[in-house]
Amino acid sequence: MATVNYNEKLQALLSSQSEIEAAKKDASNQEITKVLTFNIGEQVYGIEIPYVVEIIEVSPITAVPGVPEYIKGIINVRSKIVPVVNIRSRFGKPEIPFTDRTCVIHVSTGDTSVGLIVDSVADVTSVAEKHISKTPELNNINQSKFIKFILEMDDGIKLVLDVEKLIDDQIREDI
Amino acid sequence: MAKVEAGMESMLEVYIFETNTLLEQLDEILLRTEEAGVFAEDDINEIFRIMHTIKGSSAMMGFENLQKLAHKGEDMFFVIREKPEIAKNAPFVYELIFEVSDLYKAEIEYIQTSDDDDFSPTDFSANYTKLMDATTKLKAMAAGEAVPETVAAGSEAPAKSEAPVIVGGGEGTMTVRVFFEEGCGMENLRAFLLLTKIKEEGEIISHIPADVETNAEAAKGIVDNGFIITFRGFDGNNDAVVKAIETALNVASYEIVETVTEEEAKKEEQKKAAESGAPAQKTATKPQDEAKKSSGGGQKQSLISVNLAKLDQLHDIVGEIITTESMVIANPDLEGLRLESFSKAARQLRKLTDELQDVVMSIRMVPLAGVFQKMGRIVRDMKMKLNKDAELILEGETTEVDKSIVDSLNDPLMHLVRNCMDHGIETDVNERIALGKPAKATVKLAAKHSSNEVIITVSDDGKGINCEKVLAKAIKNGMLKKPESEYTTKEIQNMILLPGFSTNEQVTEYSGRGVGMDVVKSNIEQIGGTLAVDSEEGKGTSFIIKIPLTLAIVEGMKLKVGSTIFTVPISSIKESLMVGNNKLINDTQQGEMIMIRGICYPILRLHEKFKMPTDVTDLNEGILLLVEVDDKSVCIFADRLIGEQPVVVKPFPKYLSQYNIKAEGLSGCTVMGDGTISLIIDVNSLING
Repeated sequence: MATVNYNEKLQALLSSQSEIEAAKKDASNQEITKVLTFNIGEQVYGIEIPYVVEIIEVSPITAVPGVPEYIKGIINVRSKIVPVVNIRSRFGKPEIPFTDRTCVIHVSTGDTSVGLIVDSVADVTSVAEKHISKTPELNNINQSKFIKFILEMDDGIKLVLDVEKLIDDQIREDI
Repeated sequence: MAKVEAGMESMLEVYIFETNTLLEQLDEILLRTEEAGVFAEDDINEIFRIMHTIKGSSAMMGFENLQKLAHKGEDMFFVIREKPEIAKNAPFVYELIFEVSDLYKAEIEYIQTSDDDDFSPTDFSANYTKLMDATTKLKAMAAGEAVPETVAAGSEAPAKSEAPVIVGGGEGTMTVRVFFEEGCGMENLRAFLLLTKIKEEGEIISHIPADVETNAEAAKGIVDNGFIITFRGFDGNNDAVVKAIETALNVASYEIVETVTEEEAKKEEQKKAAESGAPAQKTATKPQDEAKKSSGGGQKQSLISVNLAKLDQLHDIVGEIITTESMVIANPDLEGLRLESFSKAARQLRKLTDELQDVVMSIRMVPLAGVFQKMGRIVRDMKMKLNKDAELILEGETTEVDKSIVDSLNDPLMHLVRNCMDHGIETDVNERIALGKPAKATVKLAAKHSSNEVIITVSDDGKGINCEKVLAKAIKNGMLKKPESEYTTKEIQNMILLPGFSTNEQVTEYSGRGVGMDVVKSNIEQIGGTLAVDSEEGKGTSFIIKIPLTLAIVEGMKLKVGSTIFTVPISSIKESLMVGNNKLINDTQQGEMIMIRGICYPILRLHEKFKMPTDVTDLNEGILLLVEVDDKSVCIFADRLIGEQPVVVKPFPKYLSQYNIKAEGLSGCTVMGDGTISLIIDVNSLING
């Protein structure tokens, strides 16, 4: 009967509505930040959006003497001089030749800005509380100390980098 | 509590800037008068004016505590003005006023730094009492010392207080601002006639300017500001008066002004009162605006305050323009073309951009005098606390440097001067006398320009650095990096700039925590400068600060090495040459040299020095550039010359400042016309490094 059908539909609609409401109320589902994800080989990494200034294609890099191997040099971004770091060699991985998809992610912590060379940029993902699993306390391991948190998402695990540490850490290292 | 009322936020910055400037002026006057031992009339008036302005603007911003503090200070100076001589016997006056000035600075800093929500004004009641006590004491001194003079002063005072004081509006009064017809002339007399007319209809309470009948100068004021009259109509009939004004001769327009203008009127009067030296505190304090700065009657203001961020922007844009200019003039598309009128226009453009650059640079330049004079205060305070007799000598304080540099020099200089006073100068005067030095020590602050640098020296004629002590301390702290005997005197002296180094056994109020010097060093390095120590035991210590001038635009020669383009400042190039027939010599350590006109020069291969891959490694294929700095010469070897171009020197990005690129022989980088980056070679560090 038509009436019953309507009632059922209404019921279904209401329940789905309340589910959404419930989900909204559930803090662990709420978006807390957005992350720009990128690939280094098979691994997906992320950088929190507030740190990202822009994504630029690789322009000719002017090498600078007297700096560590992973600092590739400096580039000109609209008349601003920005140093570039190859994330691969920063993390102790072999460098690969640049491809069409290679880009520089220009990140900034307010007063210091750095360009990060990555294999390719993937996506911008919304992150909710429930996705985050804390970094294991393995601070002495080179790669782990740059990781702020790990995201376990439907499409795999993503390592979100701690930009402040990435930029500041080596200052301390060298002193 | 919110800091300021809504709507006043925008004024806060101006207030802070203005008050700080005034406080600096105050300090300066006080230092000068303290030395002279007596207050000149001008000085007292100036102090009054400063106190008064601070009082007024603090009231406007709603900082009651500050307003009250200034008021009490004013009261004290009121007594001093009556009898300037008493200040000589009352050193506590200086202490108090310095204290007040410090309180102000602290409070203003607090205002600047605190959050809006948890701001609560500091309670100065203790200081009020102090000031009031001092005032009473001074009054007693004034009365006690010379009675007849007090009488004279007393008879003078009422005369002064007669100076126009606007008694507030009161009931039933009205204030009207009248403008006369433009160009009708003799506005003061017309105003006087108007007054006579108003008198028929009502009672005139006050008017501005007050002296229209006698002072022809008042005419100008009337033209500019209008003639302001406060009156009360007979039987409260103000309309009749307004009508009278309306129908008066030559009146172009009039407006009825509310309380606001009344305040303005008062302010105007106050300003006058303060300037003419009349007892200003008798009038109520009311808002004062920026216009106050332009003292001196109808003179137009010729100074404006500009936000530094805007200047920075301008400075950046000029840098861009110069780069773009090169991009256009040296455009590869034009290569090989004969363009006569284009070159002419290009030359004209270059001339103008050069001029623009000069102007922009000069705008940002401020003399060091401001920072230097602040040090006077430090020397004075420390002199008393440490009981050391010293004098501060300033040299070259008119030297102009970039505003941003001046700001960041303040702290380092303060540290250095303190250091000189505390560590440098002998505690025991007899020690000085034994060494044949004058009992009074000197601390000298000197500044001068030298090519592309400003050199600032802070020196004392104290005991100098004891190398043995320094070395012993360094050993104790485990700071040595090579065998003790290998350290030169200079190296040892410069150790005091390392973090955590302090030879002072006791931590004093001023120094000894071992944080000072390395902070100074890093502060100076942050603005691209260097700090060095030069000392001779028994004779004194000098700290030498070298700071590069900003927006340095260098005529550069571009060189290619591999894929990298280097720029060498033309000023350090002597000549460029091919090896040709000149003789190449190999020395014992694989070093290469070249004999040019009988003189042997070492060859420095840039590709080796900077580890840049290049195809040109044969000396005969590339080019040699003979560069010279301070009588030292070297031939640098590059692939080829590209050409000359003016370049804007940009510092290396902050991220790279942790690496010692400068020691590698590079002073910065520049963006070239085509957007690529060129590294600028610093010949000095290339040769010496």
